[in-house]
Amino acid sequence: MIRLEGVTRRYGDELAVDDLSLEVAEGEVCVLIGPSGCGKTTTLRMINRLIEPSGGSIMVNGRNVMSMRPEELRRGLGYVIQSIGLFPHLSVERNIGVVPHLLGWDKQRMAERARELLHLVGLDPEVYLEKYPRQLSGGEAQRVGVARALAADPPVLLMDEPFGAVDPLNRERLQAEFARIQRELHKTVIFVTHDIDEAIRLADKVAIMRDGRLQQFASPEEVLNHPANKFVHDFVGADRALKRLVRVRVEDVMRSPAIVQEGSEELAFRVAAGRRRFVYVIDAGGKLVGWMDTADLEPDMDPAEALTRVDPAQASVRSDASLRDALSRMLGLGFRAIAVTDDKCRLVGEVTFAAVEEAMTEGDEHITNIAEEDAG
Amino acid sequence: MSDHSLQTRFDRVALVGAIVTLAGATAPPFVELRPNRLVPGTVHSLADAGVWMFATWGLVALALLSAVAPSAKARSAASSASAYGLVAVVAWALGEAASTLLVGQTSVARVSIGSGAWVILLGAAIIGFAGGEERKRYLLRRLGPPVLVLAAVVSAFVWGGLDNISLAREFEVRADSFWQLLAGHLALAGAGVALGAVFGVPLGLWATRDRKVRGVVLGVTGIIQTVPSLALLGLLILPLSALGNAVPFLRDLGVRGIGAAPGLVALTLYALLPIVRNTYVGLAEVDPAVVDAGRGMGMSSRQLLMRVELPLALPLIMEGLRTASVLLIGITTLTVFAGARNLGILIFEGLGQFAPDLILLGALPVIVLAVVVDVALSALARRLTPEGVRA
Repeated sequence: MIRLEGVTRRYGDELAVDDLSLEVAEGEVCVLIGPSGCGKTTTLRMINRLIEPSGGSIMVNGRNVMSMRPEELRRGLGYVIQSIGLFPHLSVERNIGVVPHLLGWDKQRMAERARELLHLVGLDPEVYLEKYPRQLSGGEAQRVGVARALAADPPVLLMDEPFGAVDPLNRERLQAEFARIQRELHKTVIFVTHDIDEAIRLADKVAIMRDGRLQQFASPEEVLNHPANKFVHDFVGADRALKRLVRVRVEDVMRSPAIVQEGSEELAFRVAAGRRRFVYVIDAGGKLVGWMDTADLEPDMDPAEALTRVDPAQASVRSDASLRDALSRMLGLGFRAIAVTDDKCRLVGEVTFAAVEEAMTEGDEHITNIAEEDAG
Repeated sequence: MSDHSLQTRFDRVALVGAIVTLAGATAPPFVELRPNRLVPGTVHSLADAGVWMFATWGLVALALLSAVAPSAKARSAASSASAYGLVAVVAWALGEAASTLLVGQTSVARVSIGSGAWVILLGAAIIGFAGGEERKRYLLRRLGPPVLVLAAVVSAFVWGGLDNISLAREFEVRADSFWQLLAGHLALAGAGVALGAVFGVPLGLWATRDRKVRGVVLGVTGIIQTVPSLALLGLLILPLSALGNAVPFLRDLGVRGIGAAPGLVALTLYALLPIVRNTYVGLAEVDPAVVDAGRGMGMSSRQLLMRVELPLALPLIMEGLRTASVLLIGITTLTVFAGARNLGILIFEGLGQFAPDLILLGALPVIVLAVVVDVALSALARRLTPEGVRA
């Protein structure tokens, strides 16, 4: 648990951080966000005392950081930065082992931990343990950076724009993996970014800052539905409804579709008997093969002729994708619904445009209500 | 692809080397016979040496062949063989010329190495250089060819009459003092580099930590470098003799105006610039993100320095030591003017007596020392470079 109370940082006459108070519960991801120069990075760096606060108090797990030796404090706080800062003269294994080494772990334990962590961040230890940082791509290096921060299993992670320097495609992948790792590990995370989509996607709480002052500190839903002031409203952007979709995972709104197995003898019968117009076709392993439009089906034709074969990677979304991904895929393909598959391309459900629409308008009622109350 | 191979098929450097070698073998004097070491004498060309003349032509032909060799490997092998062969041939030809020319002469007669022989050796060096960049990098690993050529030169001394050449005579006369002077040279230059490192590395480190210090340290070491060596020695004599006179203890330690002390102080000052600058640049060039990450993970300043900053700066620091060493081996010759005893004595005595072979006796070992130290420290620097940052 992290608590900031009246924290201030002064540079000459300028206040980089002005009377900031916020509390992050254990296992929560708190995203600090705002335009550049708003004090978000300064705030993060005051927590591990890379910058000393000018006033106020910072408590980490019940201890005032000012009462601890900086080195001791930092060894208990995982630290990930945008430029990663892997040590170029050390192998991946020894990079991951930096903090355990400082803490005096034995070799055996450090080696095991490095393997474990590489698995966790999705890198094959056999391939990566002996590599040097310059042999890694940007995405791989940042995974190693995250593994290194987690090495000594700190309860708190401080992440300063960790995915800011990787390309958009890899960034989304890293975000999804971070979300997965966080569901597994439940760290208390302070995460700095200037990317509102990233904030909404990953945060349990969003702290929006401007000129060193906290503008709003609330859940992403709250920030989207009830921006505290005009700055937050503008910062979040006009596409608030669309952003809300980022918060909803496909598996939470999908429904079970009509399915038939390819080559099954009762295929035609079941298609005819089904109440839905579209029927998904899967193979014996449950993998998505394609779909059939019952409107195309004539009584005397072979049902296989009505089958449209598809590439599952192109024509479906993963169950852990956001509703926004599903919507963008639907719009791209021109469908009113899209198949949902798991990581092995097995069909697990279907998301309809209607479900997306419902999720998009959910918060608007509140906003309208408030507007009416204000009027009344 | 064919365009590229046409361009690289003909090695112009080897051609230049072959032309230079031919010029040395035909035009100027190969050796010079003088009644004594000081007066000019009669010149003799390589053509008089018969068989060695043909051997030289053969090796030049090999160099030309290497210029058109189809593969890099063949090119490298042919040019190496040509270059090393030329050195051996020159050694033996000089030996034979010296032994035959001295027959019937007085004992003070001298046979000196003529300009033609030096030009051939220069041509050999160019041909060897044409063999490719790779040879320099692996010089220490492939000891075979250099050992062979050394054996050829040594055998020319023992059996080929090379010991009759004037340079060898000068050496014989001074054999005892030569080794002392060589040792004195190494000790003084080595001490200068060591002291330069003892002061220079911490100064370079300090310069990275404090902006004001950086300006002063880099400025002052830069200015020292511009002071002419002799002037610096002269400037040091008075204060050092005053210091030695004032503090008898220091005087007993050797702090005097004349002797090794002013030389050592001057050499240390000269060593500072490359060492301080390279230490500073090496440390300053460490990626700030790496330092931030180390600090953020809980390294103390000392741990950060020892485990991250210094290992990453080490290649450049070693480069500074190498530069300082090569520089000091040359400058050490000048410290004889302040009373130090080293190879410089031979050079300046030779200049005073107008005896070119005596100058050579002092200068050649200095050149060899500089090259050997250069190669050895380069190899050491490579070994000390952490694997992850090796080019």
